[in-house]
This record gives sequence, structure tokens and C-alpha cells, in this order.
Amino acid sequence: MVSKKVILTGNFGVGKTSLFNRFVYDRFSDKYLTTIGVKVNKKVTQVNGEEISILLWDIAGEVSQDKVPVSYFLGAAGIIYVFDLTRPLTFENMDRDIEHLRQLLPDSVIKIVGNKKDLLSEDEINKILEDLTQECKITTSAKEGTHVEDLFKELGSELLQSS
Amino acid sequence: MTSEKSIEVMGHETQNQNNDMMLSMLREILLRKDREDIAEIKERIDDPDKLAEKITPIVEYHIETLKRKFPKEYRKEVDKIVERKLKASQDELLDLVYPVMGKMVRKYVNHQFLTLKENIDEKFTSIFSTKGMINRLKSLIFGVKEGDLLLSDLDNTSIEEVFLIERDAGLLLGHFSRNTTIDRDVVAGMLTAIKAFVEDAFSKERQDLEMIEYGTYKVYIQSFHQYYVSVILNGSISTSEKDKLSSRLLDFAEKEMQNITMNSNEEHDFEKLSNKLAEYFKQGAI
Repeated sequence: MVSKKVILTGNFGVGKTSLFNRFVYDRFSDKYLTTIGVKVNKKVTQVNGEEISILLWDIAGEVSQDKVPVSYFLGAAGIIYVFDLTRPLTFENMDRDIEHLRQLLPDSVIKIVGNKKDLLSEDEINKILEDLTQECKITTSAKEGTHVEDLFKELGSELLQSS
Repeated sequence: MTSEKSIEVMGHETQNQNNDMMLSMLREILLRKDREDIAEIKERIDDPDKLAEKITPIVEYHIETLKRKFPKEYRKEVDKIVERKLKASQDELLDLVYPVMGKMVRKYVNHQFLTLKENIDEKFTSIFSTKGMINRLKSLIFGVKEGDLLLSDLDNTSIEEVFLIERDAGLLLGHFSRNTTIDRDVVAGMLTAIKAFVEDAFSKERQDLEMIEYGTYKVYIQSFHQYYVSVILNGSISTSEKDKLSSRLLDFAEKEMQNITMNSNEEHDFEKLSNKLAEYFKQGAI
């Protein structure tokens, strides 16, 4: 079975841990508990009939160079960059963050994900996505479980292709 | 008419024989020197001693010339080749050098001091402690050697689990356990995260986290260039035991890890390394 390290990153409060919990345990909590350091968990998922073991690193807080140890990112085959669709502050530095990640891990698969889609209408979401300078193909709701499984299946498939 | 013809034929034959003889003589005269030379050369080639006598000085001369000129003429080229080769196989080279360096540096410098300190401490403790006094008394009364009594007092440190982990990604390369534990992949990931955090937080260049302790358990970590080994121990570990364990891990790295590709995702590599770890550590003792 193929094992891959995947990182969940993005600004604080965007729902990284909620996505993590939804994906690994299929559960959601409204309580906000900030992640301290990093949390690691594993989920084995089936992609196109092939099993892939995803080692998911839920990294606290930010993407920036000085606040998160670079070593957390090393060796990652995939990166999920999460932003909060309802808070522009969480995606206004997206270009800089993605550039930083691409420099750090040039061979990794990067997925940009807009979370908390349950709080906005389809039109509002489309408007936000149109204004983004980076391509965001997937929007999720960790609360309702919308597209979370799809996100990891898609990522898993791309990881298998790249391995 | 017929007899005239036969006389004519005979005349031609005699003429031809004369020509052949003349040609042979001419050949003999012209080629004598060459034939002699060829014979001499053949004789020289067939006789190794004679051949060596002639060739050795020439070969030696060229070797000497090459030796003399090599550094000057080919140095740049050799440097380039070596540099290219080193760059291409940097990781493999470091993995090759790491255990050797580790053996030299770790064994003979740092721990020797600690062992010495520990021995002095131990002497003091055993002489003046109540247990030491009791042991002496027991030894006198029952005739049992004091050393044997001391040994029986010591608790045995056992190796519970060994994790072989890819250094950056934290992916498990091999695993050995005497008991079933929680998800080994998650443990490997978390150990990597803890290690990365500590090493990053204190940002001491080229320093690695070596030990994590919780209760009677200890996680001994030995880092290599592309991977590290975490040994879960139950019981206390002295400096000399740590040295012994370190040597075993270096030995394992030297013998078993040289041709391993990191993150190969090959099931057979995982099984192979896990079996090797079991071979080395299944006894449980350090």
C-alpha cells in the first residue's frame, strides 16, 4: 500500500482541524479549539480500486515562514491549503502563501480549498472564486461533510498518479 | 614433329626451374634480414622474460611520466568527475559516512566522559549507600559475591518497540514490536513531529533530539541523514547501555540500510526491514 504525507495548512480558524476530524473520524464539533503545534493522523482510503494510506498533518495556525517550523512541511507529497470563504483575511495573502509552499515543496500536489461553504449562497461562493488569483476547484463544508471525501479522493488520485 | 615439341617443352621446364631457383635465391637475399628480425621478435614475444626485459623499462617510464603529470594534467577533470559524482549521490554518501562518523565521534569522545562520571558516581553510591552496606553484610554472612548481589538488584531494561522512520516525511520504513500497540504509522508521524518541533524550537545546528522519557519508558532516538530509529525502552538505561544500543543501531544502519530507497512505498521493503529489525532486537535486551 502506498503511504503519503499530506499537510493541512492555512490561516487560523479556517477549519483545518474540522476537515481533519471530518475526514478521519467523520465527526464535527462547533467548539473552536486552536491546534497547538501539529496533530498527526492516518486514514486509509480507496482510490480507483487502489488503497492509499494518507498520513495527515494538521498544522496549527499560519503558513508563514517564521511561525511554523519548516521541518513540518518536509517530505509532504500533498498540501491542502484551506481558506475560509467567509473571511477575506484568510485568502488575501494566498498568492504569497502558495508561492512559499511551491518553493518549499516544488514536487508536491497542492489543493486550494474554500471551507465553510454552508454559510454562503452559491452566488456568493462563485463571486469569491472568480476574484481569486489562484485556482480553487473545490469548496467544502466540514460541518455538513460536503465534498470532504471528494477532496481527499481527488488528492489521493493525484498522489497515486504522481508516485 | 612430336619429338621436337617434347624437346621444346623440356626446354621450357628447365627455364622455369631456373627462374624459380633464381627467384628463391633473390627472395632469400632480400628477405634474410627481415626473416632474422621476425624470428628474433617471435622468440622475444614467446619468451616472457625476454619480452619483459624489453617492455618493462618503457612501461615504467610511462607510468612514471603519468604519475608525474597526472595531478597537473588531469586534476581538473578528475575534480569535475568527483564533484559530479558526489553531488549526484550526496544522500547515499552521507548515509554511508554517517554510521562510521557516528561510531567514531559518539563512541570515543562524548560518552567516554559520561561513562567515567557514571562509574565514579556508582562507586560512591555503592560504597556509602544503605543497600551497599547491606550487600556487604549479606556477602560476609552468606558467602555470596558482592557483585552478584549488585547484579540481582539491577532492573533489566528491555526493548519494547523499534521504529525505523523516514526523517522528513515521518513515514514508517520498518517496525518491530514485542506487543501490539496503537497505530504504528501515527506514532511514527507524531514522533517525527515532536522531533521536528524540538529541533526547530532550539534551532541548534546539527543537533538531534536523542531521548524522550515518560515514566519508566524511554524513547531513544538515533538520527541518520535520511531516516532515524526510535527505540522504545522499558526501564532505566545507563550511559554504557546507551553506548551499546547506539553501536547496535549503527551496525544495523551500516549493514542493512545502504541500499534502501527512501519512500519507495514498496511493501516488500517494509517487510524486509521489519524482519531485519526483529532479527536485531527480538531478544529484547540491549
